Amino acid sequence: MTGAALRRANLEALVEAQGATRATPPLLLSADPYFDLAGEEFGRRLLLTTDTTGAEHCLRPDFTLPIVQSYIKDGVGKPAAFSYLGPIFRQRETGPAEFDQAGIELLAQPDGDIALDQVLTFARAALSIYGVAPQVRLGGVGLFEAMLVQADMPDAWRPRIRNRFGHTEALDRLLTRLEVAPDLPREQQPSREDLLEDVTAQMVTAGLSLSQGRTPAEIADRYLEQQALDAAHVPAKTLKLLRDYLAISGNVLQALTQVEALASQHRLMLGAPIRAIRRHLNCLGEARVTFDASFSPRLDYYTGIVFEMTGPTGEILASGGQYDRLLERLGAVAPIPASGCAVWVDRLEAELAP
Amino acid sequence: MSGLTLAVPSKGRLEELTRDWFAQNGLTITRPGGARSYLGAIEGMPDITVRFFPASEIARELIRGTIDIGVTGRDLIHETSETGPQSVHIAKPLGFGKADCVVAVPDAWIDVTHMHDLADVASDFRSRHGRWMRIATKYITITRQHFAKAGIAEYRTVESLGATEAAPASGVADIVVDITTTGSTLAANGLRVLQDGIMLQSEACLIVSRTAERNAQSQSQLAAFLAQLGASVDQ
Repeated sequence: MTGAALRRANLEALVEAQGATRATPPLLLSADPYFDLAGEEFGRRLLLTTDTTGAEHCLRPDFTLPIVQSYIKDGVGKPAAFSYLGPIFRQRETGPAEFDQAGIELLAQPDGDIALDQVLTFARAALSIYGVAPQVRLGGVGLFEAMLVQADMPDAWRPRIRNRFGHTEALDRLLTRLEVAPDLPREQQPSREDLLEDVTAQMVTAGLSLSQGRTPAEIADRYLEQQALDAAHVPAKTLKLLRDYLAISGNVLQALTQVEALASQHRLMLGAPIRAIRRHLNCLGEARVTFDASFSPRLDYYTGIVFEMTGPTGEILASGGQYDRLLERLGAVAPIPASGCAVWVDRLEAELAP
Repeated sequence: MSGLTLAVPSKGRLEELTRDWFAQNGLTITRPGGARSYLGAIEGMPDITVRFFPASEIARELIRGTIDIGVTGRDLIHETSETGPQSVHIAKPLGFGKADCVVAVPDAWIDVTHMHDLADVASDFRSRHGRWMRIATKYITITRQHFAKAGIAEYRTVESLGATEAAPASGVADIVVDITTTGSTLAANGLRVLQDGIMLQSEACLIVSRTAERNAQSQSQLAAFLAQLGASVDQ
């Protein structure tokens, strides 16, 4: 056995060697959970088909969701580990395509740090089968959230900023808007009661349900909150902190030192999340590791630490991290620690092409 | 194969305006079989085959490259495929069929005036109402691209093939993405276009396929044809 076949056999062996249950979810899955979890942005990459009742199904676009769903169905709580290797299907600009993906999912593990170490080690080992010494890019979702909670600003702004984390342009637009927020004198605002009456009347006139969607109270409250927010500025010092923080990117040790300097300058307690990132550097060995403060997947179930590994061509070969909010989003009643990664097998094979 | 295929809208106001426009530029499109025929010609130009297609099919065939030139709306090029705009060259906007593809919310949403407000509303919609914010639209591709650009991921589209403006009142959706010329239909249904809610300004255009295969001869025929119409040649 040589070349591609040998590498494939080695990868197969690595997947088997994780002390995990080998997961083989069906190829045909209900599409709704994907739309529910990841929204339209991911939905447009699905290969969809409709059954006779009109329900939508898709060809398996990833392994994580069906694995986690069946884990929840079997009753959560017990630590579990799953590994996989097999085809997934996504729409590409060049048409539909089938890719092989390998990965692991570690659920409800007693020690989230150890679990993430196993994930990182797995990804590194998979890449080394293909002779790739990767560039590793780390992102700190937990670190950003810890900073945001402590930063001085009106509370209502925190979720708005958090929601844009990971979307560089949207976050930049929001910060710019906050920076130039004009000190316009506000007209006298109507009372909440008047607003409620007004909004209710408009909704009734337009034939909108008062309970199925946004309610008059929700609209009136957010309207008043907007007015209050326009008045309650985020302090310039905090905006500078956010800008400085998000700009931090580079060699992981230097970057974390910069974060520490920023934290002490603004009197923020970021020791725990910074230490959490440092602890994982050992198992990344001699890989070149960078930390990018603005890096995060655009899905709000990610927590803690996230990562991406790239090869010489710059293609993302492996990605993953911690997503302690995922199981809750899929119906579990309490947060359950989860971490994992996916490795793009076809891209790894392409790295070897002359 | 030499010769060119020109596709024009097969019916309605758009067909009329297209034939008028060609006539103003000295070209008469004939439809020998009348309105039921889907094949035509241009007087004095035997190398050009004219086909009558629905406007959305013209967009699709231009992107696929089965026709060389077509008259259709810019919106349909963007909607038919994410790669639509790269696959064609807009040779000339024709000045009719003007319409904007817009994001509109119920008038009663007095707190939502810009896309960034919508981003805030979308982000906690699910936790408040147990479902995603729903957008009724015929323009799913354009909506996805525009909302992605605005950083809004938390929504679902509901495909609507007609009377989109009625979707909020019937409870099918919360807001709409629709095409409008004056906004009066939206306004009559209690909907208001966001201040930065214009996603695309569309009009009928003379469009050349970049994916169609052409030899040197048909390429020069194309250049001559476009020159006669005062339209721009690709590159």
